[in-house]
Amino acid sequence: MSKPPSSRGFGERLQHWLPRLVLSPSFVLVLFFVYGFILWTTYISFSNSGMLPDYTWAGTRQWSRLWSSWTWGIALHNIWVFGLLYIVTCTALGLLLAILLDQRIRAEGTLRTIYLYPMALSFIVTGTAWQWFLNPGLGLERTMHSLGWESFSFNWLIDANMAIYTVVIAAVWQATGFIMAMFLAGLRGIDGEMIKAAQIDGAPAWKIYLRIIIPQLRPVFLSAIVVLAHLAIKSFDLIVAMTGGGPGNATAVPATFMYSYAFSRNEMGIASASAVFMLAVIAALIIPYLYSELRESRS
Amino acid sequence: MSFLHIHNVHKRFGDTHVLKGIDIAIEKGDFLVLVGPSGCGKSTLLNMIAGLDAISEGELLLNGERINDLHPSRRDIAMVFQSYALYPSMTVAGNIGFGLEMRKVPKAKRREAIQRAAELLQIENLLNRKPAQLSGGQRQRVAMGRALVREPQLFLFDEPLSNLDAKLRVDMRTEIKQLHQRLGTTIVYVTHDQIEAMTLATRIAVMRGGELQQLGTPQSVYDDPNNLFVAGFMGSPSMNLVTARITRQDGALVARIASANNEVTLPIVRDRAALEAWCDRDVMLGLRPEAITDPASANREDGEIHEAELEVALVEPTGADLYVVTRLGGRSINARMRPGAPLSPGQSTRFAFDVSRMVAFDPETEARIRDETDATTQVTARPAALGQNV
Repeated sequence: MSKPPSSRGFGERLQHWLPRLVLSPSFVLVLFFVYGFILWTTYISFSNSGMLPDYTWAGTRQWSRLWSSWTWGIALHNIWVFGLLYIVTCTALGLLLAILLDQRIRAEGTLRTIYLYPMALSFIVTGTAWQWFLNPGLGLERTMHSLGWESFSFNWLIDANMAIYTVVIAAVWQATGFIMAMFLAGLRGIDGEMIKAAQIDGAPAWKIYLRIIIPQLRPVFLSAIVVLAHLAIKSFDLIVAMTGGGPGNATAVPATFMYSYAFSRNEMGIASASAVFMLAVIAALIIPYLYSELRESRS
Repeated sequence: MSFLHIHNVHKRFGDTHVLKGIDIAIEKGDFLVLVGPSGCGKSTLLNMIAGLDAISEGELLLNGERINDLHPSRRDIAMVFQSYALYPSMTVAGNIGFGLEMRKVPKAKRREAIQRAAELLQIENLLNRKPAQLSGGQRQRVAMGRALVREPQLFLFDEPLSNLDAKLRVDMRTEIKQLHQRLGTTIVYVTHDQIEAMTLATRIAVMRGGELQQLGTPQSVYDDPNNLFVAGFMGSPSMNLVTARITRQDGALVARIASANNEVTLPIVRDRAALEAWCDRDVMLGLRPEAITDPASANREDGEIHEAELEVALVEPTGADLYVVTRLGGRSINARMRPGAPLSPGQSTRFAFDVSRMVAFDPETEARIRDETDATTQVTARPAALGQNV
């Protein structure tokens, strides 16, 4: 016996509308400030904008200027080197640490927290700390010299060819603990009887990991790589804090490129084009991942 | 020297004493079932035989060799796990062949062995599938194939059927038994299901609280239980247990079961010497449901039948049998009668008690009261006659 809608009680109508009412402000804000500005930025990348937005249509002029820019080439090269090293090192180190932590050692809880701590720091703090630590005049090199090892030299931070690797070191230091926690959770989900069966089958420990455990961690690998890849593409604050994109343009990445073109070089159009390009790359990574994840959870 | 000898084996986890001195010896080709309620230590014992748990004290001998400190892979054993523990990233063939691969068996020989095991278990058509694509029963077969292919000295089964549905469990039970008979392998099998234990075993070890309660053939454990726990644990429906007073009547020893509304006096024919000492004291009497029948289906040739008139409280037909519940000595007593017996609740009828199968227990210690000499003759002298009743 359902009542006609007009005679429904106030409470019932409120219950019907309340969720929409509560959600609508944030929905409107996200719609405007996220998706609205994505569209706006995309338009700007096809306009004549310089220091200020200029809405005259310029076709692909800004895009061709972007792709002929020498700095953009360096930034793309750097993001490749940085991203690849960052993802591979973090995954390998994270997995190794997780396997070592999974050996039922005593201080596991403490160690896990220690490894996870860097993730709690902001990239700015990490960048500044590592800048001090690797600065030849302040940190490691100077300490070694004062300890009497006069010939010690580690000046990657100020070496244009090596500076990008110092950024990799700092970024790996920060994210490895988190990746380790992901792998540890994966390892804990593996059926212990399977490992016993493999032991009885006569497999040595390294073969048990290689042949039986690691193949089962495939979903964890996928998640780890997606998380790391989008962190790598978005990396900005770490580089700004650590090297400022320098020496010269040696550690420029698309995010620092975009920032400097938008706010110091008054080239809003090129900056927008680079921003849209980064969005497209991240979307190409994330959308298939989300699609597969959501499809799995639905079925 | 027996084939597998578990000699005074203890297990301690910190302060908890999980296994308190287990002694079991079986011969080659035996099917030993470790049975008991959960937490009795049966799985721990199996893991210790496998080498997955360390032995705190005692000795483990396989084929005369001390294997206490041998790595699981060097004990020449294979194990089937409750969860099957198949490797999900490998195909069925890969799973079955993994142990051989680890032992560096050449590829051609390996393929041959896999094929043979698969044929034995009728899973040849599944060899290229992944475990995720298999049903529960098929996974079970693959797990058995993985054990069979290595042709080990000893097979260990850890509750292998408990994840299957009831129908499949019965089928697989039969199949395991057939495999054992065909291959003549030695098996140690853990289960909490006493029917599985009875049907599969050539030797049953009943365990409770880390202690071995009884070791023997299924029939001897069933007919001649060592204590009240074994009597109650083995058999379904379980043994009828009732308090009775041992007295002397016309010079003969009898057991009187009395309550407010009825009284039954049964002559003592079994363990007579031991029960003399219990004259004028209470004991716990045990009688299997099939030892209480209607007079027409009573086995007068092998048993000693004593009849009594009792009131029917409840009738439970199962098709093959008719279970009739009556009240005696304040307890419900289950009797197995021929199907179709015209009985209804409230009606009085004659019950035939086979007193030769009656067992008595000390109500305090729960230990069996039995003649020392009788214990052995009971088991060995009359297995055929007892077999008919079960």
